Amino acid sequence: MKEFTYTVEDPNGIHARPAGKLATFAKQFVSQIRVLGNGTEADAKRLLSLMRLGATRGALLTFRIEGDDEDAAASALESFCTTQWGDGSGL
Amino acid sequence: MTSSSSNLMLSGIGIGTRKIAGPLHFYRPRVTPLPTASHTADSRAQELRLQNALTQAREQIALLHRRALAEVGQTEAQIFEIHAMLLEDEDLTEAIAAALANGASAEQAVESAAKGVAADLEALGDPYLSGRAADVRDVAERILLNLSGSHGESATKAPDRPYILVARDLTPSQTMSLEKEKLLGFVTLEGTPNSHTSILARAMGIPALVGVGQLDEHYDGSFALLDAAHGTLTLSPDEGRRAEFQRLVEQENEIAREHDRYLRTLLNKPAVTRSGRRILIYANVGDEAEAESAMVNGADGIGLLRSEFLYLSLDRYPTEEELTAAYDAMVCKMQGKRIVIRTLDVGADKRIAYFDLPEEPNPALGFRAVRLCLAREGLFKTQLRAILRASAKGTISIMLPMIVSVEEVRRCRDLLEECKEELSREQIPFDSKIEFGIMVETPAAAIMSRELAEEVDFFSVGTNDLTQYTLAIDRQNPKVAPLGEKNGEAVLRLIELSAAAIHARGGWIGVCGEMAADLRLTQRLLDMGVDELSVSPPYLLGVREKVTECK
Repeated sequence: MKEFTYTVEDPNGIHARPAGKLATFAKQFVSQIRVLGNGTEADAKRLLSLMRLGATRGALLTFRIEGDDEDAAASALESFCTTQWGDGSGL
Repeated sequence: MTSSSSNLMLSGIGIGTRKIAGPLHFYRPRVTPLPTASHTADSRAQELRLQNALTQAREQIALLHRRALAEVGQTEAQIFEIHAMLLEDEDLTEAIAAALANGASAEQAVESAAKGVAADLEALGDPYLSGRAADVRDVAERILLNLSGSHGESATKAPDRPYILVARDLTPSQTMSLEKEKLLGFVTLEGTPNSHTSILARAMGIPALVGVGQLDEHYDGSFALLDAAHGTLTLSPDEGRRAEFQRLVEQENEIAREHDRYLRTLLNKPAVTRSGRRILIYANVGDEAEAESAMVNGADGIGLLRSEFLYLSLDRYPTEEELTAAYDAMVCKMQGKRIVIRTLDVGADKRIAYFDLPEEPNPALGFRAVRLCLAREGLFKTQLRAILRASAKGTISIMLPMIVSVEEVRRCRDLLEECKEELSREQIPFDSKIEFGIMVETPAAAIMSRELAEEVDFFSVGTNDLTQYTLAIDRQNPKVAPLGEKNGEAVLRLIELSAAAIHARGGWIGVCGEMAADLRLTQRLLDMGVDELSVSPPYLLGVREKVTECK
């Protein structure tokens, strides 16, 4: 099992578009990917599940990844969170 | 309330800033009663009806998505990508399947599943996330309409003269499907400013008033004044109010036309300061859609092409052919205008899975950008060859990120020369005089700018990183980020130093960080000799306007 944490930076929280981007991205992995936060948990491959987390700005999320490709999935997801969700401008 | 009472004013949340006047038209959806479970008892038959309705829904949403892409742009169009995803979402489909298995009709199953999910979202209490319940209902209503065989038309015909639409609420789909020809704007009794309906209205430039609460149906057809900037709706205005409002509308229209005319005149004119200096206004671009936006907003070129985009969209290294094709597409889109391609800037702070980079305690100070490229020459040369090949068809400059020393620049240049020789041998055309430059985003590069200037044709200052490294502040850390705002002078001095160094060698200098779009700094940057400002496409016209006002 692999695990990492991420603090939500999007001012509007994990609303529909960021949740959609994450679900699409997570689906490429076979591992089970759970996102824990706000005292509940979500399936990272499911849009509504992620939206129901109610993760607003500043929420601390724990990603728990378990399965055959957990190493690759964990590092890819972590970079996804920082580059696709964060400012990512690279400047 | 009688229809004779005039000047009755309702308030709500205005979307947009315009004022409109016209008759109200109430939208009344046809109500179709939900069939009960016994509609057909066979759950297999219900499953088939549902599948047909879902297939139709997929096509309808795809159509709306295409329409949104054309009419409101990529960001807002994503609303319908979300609807497409909702349609397939397992939380929803599993709840529907469970209800069907329990003997529900397709309609009941969809209705109850959507209600459950929408209620969960509303219970979150966050206004933004709760607003997404409307999207779930939108998708569910679409499936229900398809099941009923109806097309969701209003029970009342739209008037054939301009009107203000009134509805209890509008779904994002209905908003996107509004016939804009006669529509002046709309009023909804419910709704919030953050809803996707409001976002679409804003993007479509339709003035609206949402969340007005109550509006009696007997006002259907009566005249009203909608002021989006002040969030008011005046019902049955008397002559005096109408005339006053009309005067304000015309005044506003004239100001808007004037400013628009002015900005349009700037579009195709070079940005020249009052003292006659030509400044290049370039765009920061991360993908093709942004390049399109850069062109629409009159960019003189691309000052920063973040070349990571192709690497991020794949799950393996792109080939030279794929990279060349992507750069060719950019050249084509920019119609020959200069494109400054920043070579790959990835590392522990911006990771890509297949690069297989280890975690680092200090990614911003770690193995990234040109450091990584010089350690993985094969990867770097593939990109350099692709850039060179694209340079045969347009004006391209190469820009190296994260430079701290002359030695790095020389090693990169050697690799570039190797690529040029290879291509010559293979008789593949490229621009042999391709411009070669570096980003100044470390204090080291600015301090060594005299030596570095001897190696390159241009500098481009990445002010975000330069600020981070100069002031030792992590800009993601809200506790220290404000220090950047207060201590910009230190960064400006480094830019000044770099500008003097590159000008002494006959080269040029641009700024491509956030400072380039900060209109309070424009004059100062130009005074230092900055030749080019590169900003994200929405800021292009504002910066262009500012430059023409500078000395």
